[in-house]
Amino acid sequence: MRTGHFKESYAELVTLSDSAVTWAWVAVLLAVLIALPLFVGNYGLSLAAGAMIAVIGAVGLNLLVGTTGLISIGQSGFLAIGAYTNALLLADHGWPIWASIPAAGVLSALISLLVGIPSLRLKGLYLAITTLAFAFIVNHVILYAEEITHGPNGVFLPKITALGFDLSRDRPFYYFALAITIAVVLVALNLSRTRIGRAWMAIRDHDIAARVMGIDLVRYKLLAFMISSFLVGIAGALMSLHIRFVNIDVFGLILSIEALAMIILGGLGSIAGAILGALFLSFLPEAIRIAFATFGDPSSTTYTAYVYEIRGIAYGVVIVAFLRFKPDGLIGFWRDIRRYWSNWPLAY
Amino acid sequence: MDFFLLLLATGLVSGAAYGMIAMGFALIYKATGVVNFAQGELVMLTAYIAFSIAASLNLSFFPLVAVTVPIAMVLGLVLERIFIRPMLGEPIFAIVMVTIGLAVIIRGVTIMIWGPDPFDFPAGLSTNVVFIGDIPFYPAQLYALGALAVLVAAAWFFLHRSRMGIAMRAVAANEKAAMLMGIGVARVHALAWSLSSAIAAVAGILFAANFKLGPDLWFQGLKSFPAVILGGLDSVIGAAIGGLVIGVIENMAQGYLGQGLREIAGFVVIVLVLMIRPYGLFGEREIERV
Repeated sequence: MRTGHFKESYAELVTLSDSAVTWAWVAVLLAVLIALPLFVGNYGLSLAAGAMIAVIGAVGLNLLVGTTGLISIGQSGFLAIGAYTNALLLADHGWPIWASIPAAGVLSALISLLVGIPSLRLKGLYLAITTLAFAFIVNHVILYAEEITHGPNGVFLPKITALGFDLSRDRPFYYFALAITIAVVLVALNLSRTRIGRAWMAIRDHDIAARVMGIDLVRYKLLAFMISSFLVGIAGALMSLHIRFVNIDVFGLILSIEALAMIILGGLGSIAGAILGALFLSFLPEAIRIAFATFGDPSSTTYTAYVYEIRGIAYGVVIVAFLRFKPDGLIGFWRDIRRYWSNWPLAY
Repeated sequence: MDFFLLLLATGLVSGAAYGMIAMGFALIYKATGVVNFAQGELVMLTAYIAFSIAASLNLSFFPLVAVTVPIAMVLGLVLERIFIRPMLGEPIFAIVMVTIGLAVIIRGVTIMIWGPDPFDFPAGLSTNVVFIGDIPFYPAQLYALGALAVLVAAAWFFLHRSRMGIAMRAVAANEKAAMLMGIGVARVHALAWSLSSAIAAVAGILFAANFKLGPDLWFQGLKSFPAVILGGLDSVIGAAIGGLVIGVIENMAQGYLGQGLREIAGFVVIVLVLMIRPYGLFGEREIERV
């Protein structure tokens, strides 16, 4: 009698999912996402689109930090590059959107080589600090290159249409963001089962051993930087479309921390985890706002006075609590529940 | 020439603040192998605590430091106990992320307690200009340089002459071997946190006295990374020297190359140093084998 989930061939090991139930749930999820505009208003759609963008960014970062094991605190730098590239190409140079978004990704990927190349000699914390330095340098270059970037004034985005839809309205933008998110998630899922993804995991687990096994560290580390930054750059481009006004103040350090919090909270190295983490943290501020509002007037005025601080504290507490009590993240919770469900009434 | 000397002098003063903060980083890194991303926040929090003490007790500089430093040490111990100790044995990345989380929490809490507006905080020091040669100094600036010198001397004696300091170096060299030799590794970690928080208090008070006490003080912690990288993450005294060098480089970049470079000169130095000499000027070179 078969009493478990067996993989009998290599092909089975690398399929996206061999379970019809999983595919059915994915279909349900897609149907809900597509039908979402019927249930929620414009505010909800705007929140949902923001969450989609967070998912893209978290999936991108997860390829670098979770899959390849290269810690980066420079996420905000690549988001800024993506957002500014997209905004400037649209506003100042009149590019069409189908060219400016890929351009934002490509530029981020190229610039990531600047951090990627030093990273070949660096490990762990040194790399983390380099990426941090990189984010600061990017912010200052953007602030002082006024001829190109408008410096402290920021960039207003013009009205953008794609295929005849006005992307400044919530519903078309939601569908736009959803389509890109699905594409990005599929790319990431497939990457992790190719040669590249497996090489990355080998590098994460032990880079010197991976080198001995014949993995070209230079090539795969740089590739990790480039692909991850490409996705983050695209997230930045979408972010600029979403907020419609790009200013350097948006891309502070807290954004990098938020991104790291997303992948830690979701479960490092897991794409489903990155998605869960991004969704959870995107709706956390909203949940906090509602929680403060339910306690009436004094607490909601405290909230409006200290929005950023309260949000920051919440991120901090979430990071610390998850690392301490549930290092596997939300995806670990899910696995525990699933194991419990299938093994009940036995403990293991 | 005068301009050069002025830049050099002010560079050394801001470098002294970087140096002190960087010493805190290096001390924790040396003992625990963790970069404490909350060091800048510790500097800010202890400076605010000193501000509240000064406001309620009206103390002059030395008594203020004498009261604040023990409080800071207890604070360091408590933070280590709550946030870091339970993570013992976890991967370094996880512990570093905990310090990042701690940093954001401290930042939020500080602003919620003391508000977002900056304060003037003379820390009981006079503001009459003192001339050394032709160069004008505020007393607070001279105190900052003096404090760095005292801390470097104290750190050297502690690490090379005291029992606990030698234990700390042993833990840094090889944690397991140190444990087998009967050194309480957890105690050494706690001590490193409390000492580095004491240094943070001195740095915070002097920084606030030199500039302003505001919620962006935590940023000095990040700005001290170049110093600690230049000196080598595991060299406490190297970090102090790195601080002075970075302070001077930043000021020179500002004075001779252009506005705005001050903010990023240090970070450019980081990238260069890491590419050429990844373990810093005084850091220990690690060799890895499979």
